[in-house]
Amino acid sequence: MSDSGSKSLTKANRSLDDGVSGLISRIQLPHGAGRMIVLLVGIFAIFSILNPRVFLNPVNLENIGVGAPEIGLIALAMMLTMLTGGIDLSIVAIANFSAITVSSLYTAVSVAQGQAAAEGLTIVFLLAGIGVGALLGLVNGVLISVVGVTPILTTLGTMQLFNGLALVWTGGVTISGAPSALSGIGTATLASIPVLFVILILAAALLALVIDRTPVGRKIQLQGANPIAARYSGISSRKTLMLTYGLSGVLGGVAGLVFLARNPSASADYGSSYVLLAIVIAVLGGTNPNGGVATVFGVILATLTLQVVSSGFTAMRLSAYEYSIAQGVLLIAVMIVDQLTFRRRRRRALPLSSETVAVQTQKAHEEKTR
Amino acid sequence: MGTLRRLRGPNNEGVLVAVILVLVVVMSLASDAFFTPNTFFGLVRSSLVPLVFALGVLMVLISGGIDVSFPAIAIFAAYTTVSWSGQASFDPTLVGAFVVAIVIGAALGFVNGAVIARFRLPTLIVTLGTQGIIRGILLAYIGSAYIASSKMPPSVAQAGDAYLLDIPGAGYLHGMMVPVVVVTVLVWWMLKYTTFGRSIYAIGGDIEAARRVGIKVVRTQIMLYSLVGGLAAFGGMISVILGKNANPQTLVGTELDIIAAVVLGGASIFGGRGSVLGTVLGVILVQLINNNLVLIGIPSTWQRAAVGILLIVGVGVQALVALRSRPQPVLLDEEVSRA
Repeated sequence: MSDSGSKSLTKANRSLDDGVSGLISRIQLPHGAGRMIVLLVGIFAIFSILNPRVFLNPVNLENIGVGAPEIGLIALAMMLTMLTGGIDLSIVAIANFSAITVSSLYTAVSVAQGQAAAEGLTIVFLLAGIGVGALLGLVNGVLISVVGVTPILTTLGTMQLFNGLALVWTGGVTISGAPSALSGIGTATLASIPVLFVILILAAALLALVIDRTPVGRKIQLQGANPIAARYSGISSRKTLMLTYGLSGVLGGVAGLVFLARNPSASADYGSSYVLLAIVIAVLGGTNPNGGVATVFGVILATLTLQVVSSGFTAMRLSAYEYSIAQGVLLIAVMIVDQLTFRRRRRRALPLSSETVAVQTQKAHEEKTR
Repeated sequence: MGTLRRLRGPNNEGVLVAVILVLVVVMSLASDAFFTPNTFFGLVRSSLVPLVFALGVLMVLISGGIDVSFPAIAIFAAYTTVSWSGQASFDPTLVGAFVVAIVIGAALGFVNGAVIARFRLPTLIVTLGTQGIIRGILLAYIGSAYIASSKMPPSVAQAGDAYLLDIPGAGYLHGMMVPVVVVTVLVWWMLKYTTFGRSIYAIGGDIEAARRVGIKVVRTQIMLYSLVGGLAAFGGMISVILGKNANPQTLVGTELDIIAAVVLGGASIFGGRGSVLGTVLGVILVQLINNNLVLIGIPSTWQRAAVGILLIVGVGVQALVALRSRPQPVLLDEEVSRA
């Protein structure tokens, strides 16, 4: 090949590269979401190539859609509280409480007035489940914003309390019974998409709307990004936190309904591994555990990614234990890559002046003493 | 007032003692069955494993971190030790088994520490990840089957029946109490009197200040997490010995309960504060409730709720006191400190 030919090739190559990178940078994706799209597509492709017959089977794809909503809703609640710099360890206990409420009410009414009467009150029961979720969320909100207990301690305590009360209520056994309409939703599909999945997407869209497009959402974001600045701006952190934890409780309540829709039984210790899994998903989805940064889209993508990995592992005849390894590796790898790119970016930017260091230390200190 | 404050202790240990005493009195009045050696021995026995784990959690909390991987490390180390020596029909003796397990645990803890210190990642997230990895490796590649005491090395199996004190008809005091008490005293001594122990407090108090006074933060953190891993493995072995079986599915899932007990014992979740005495009291209080609530006529299903209420009341009162003692013009105060 001639010299000029290779040169023109290099030039063409470079212009192509520049064009592509320009295009990529123009797509303004939130940090976590962009990374998760790449991961999701990549992982999906790998499993499709490795075992297309099982993995791309409609049944398998539907299972992903049915399995994602309950943990997705819980992860959204976790993300919302992390956005304000908090955490909600009690969220699964809230979801179970909601499921137990609906199941108990339904059983009680159908015993007392017959099944038909109980079915007729389905809507009331569902609202009661969500209402209980909201109420328990508000209990967290009061403890955090009025009493002033830090979120992690509050929810560590209320997790024990709500879970304990659920144990008392059920006597520690699994109770069964759920409105048939709810079970119907659990198996129904809309244009071959599971209705439960549609519910997850609707909830996510609504939450995204609240966070990104309403004054309340702005307040929630600011509260997490810089609580002191939020206070100076005249934002009542009490109201914001009450709302955040109330909303988190509502999401937990809906997750409880999804539990029941998938399986018409409820118990106090269902999904005990979900608390930590929800934190994994929220962080994978680009949520900053210290608050201020989080995207609904990223969390949904992270939920799907973990579901895809889970069902892909099943398709490859790998065990749930190997899935647990993959989950851990994925979490730590993403965190390390994040940290390294952050450091590189910072080093490339101006060297830290002593003033910014002082401000940062000050902020860290304030967070500690808060 | 001064005496009262001294009695309360630096981490509200006095309050815990008072709560425990009240519970003991109420339970004694409510039931004749309470104030017996049997209850006491049962309390000691059920406190041993949680106490060892709690000491590890305490050290991590003091350093300003949160560790949720210790139950996974504990059962990984203990199960691997028992399973390997069982397969090889080799009896490493009781001490040997403890040493092997502790080495495995320390190695796993080292991984935690290295990732946390080297990349400065949030401890909760890292240990969440390693918890999944460690548990996954154990169950997928080492074994998922229950090992009965007949398949365990004889020395380990026999240790399950070694009693310090055996009162016929009134229960027994388990021999494993001795190493646990020794370890508790060692941890107390280390935290109070060694440079390493004081460094842990310093890092938890203010990591940047610790760095500036010349504490090697990375090295201390790695050492700390290795030590905590070893301690978790020690607890895992005790739990295998007491339970007379090795079940790889156990322990994981108890991490938040242990953390709750340590927080109840006065340790600050933000680091820099916490004591071994408080932790011991916190663990005893939780076990007292778990074991004996039935005696005062409260059904056993209330255990968890009771611990939850206690925890919320405990941290709530602390927060309210802190809120009241804060000087009123909050914003002005912050401006002054910033200027």
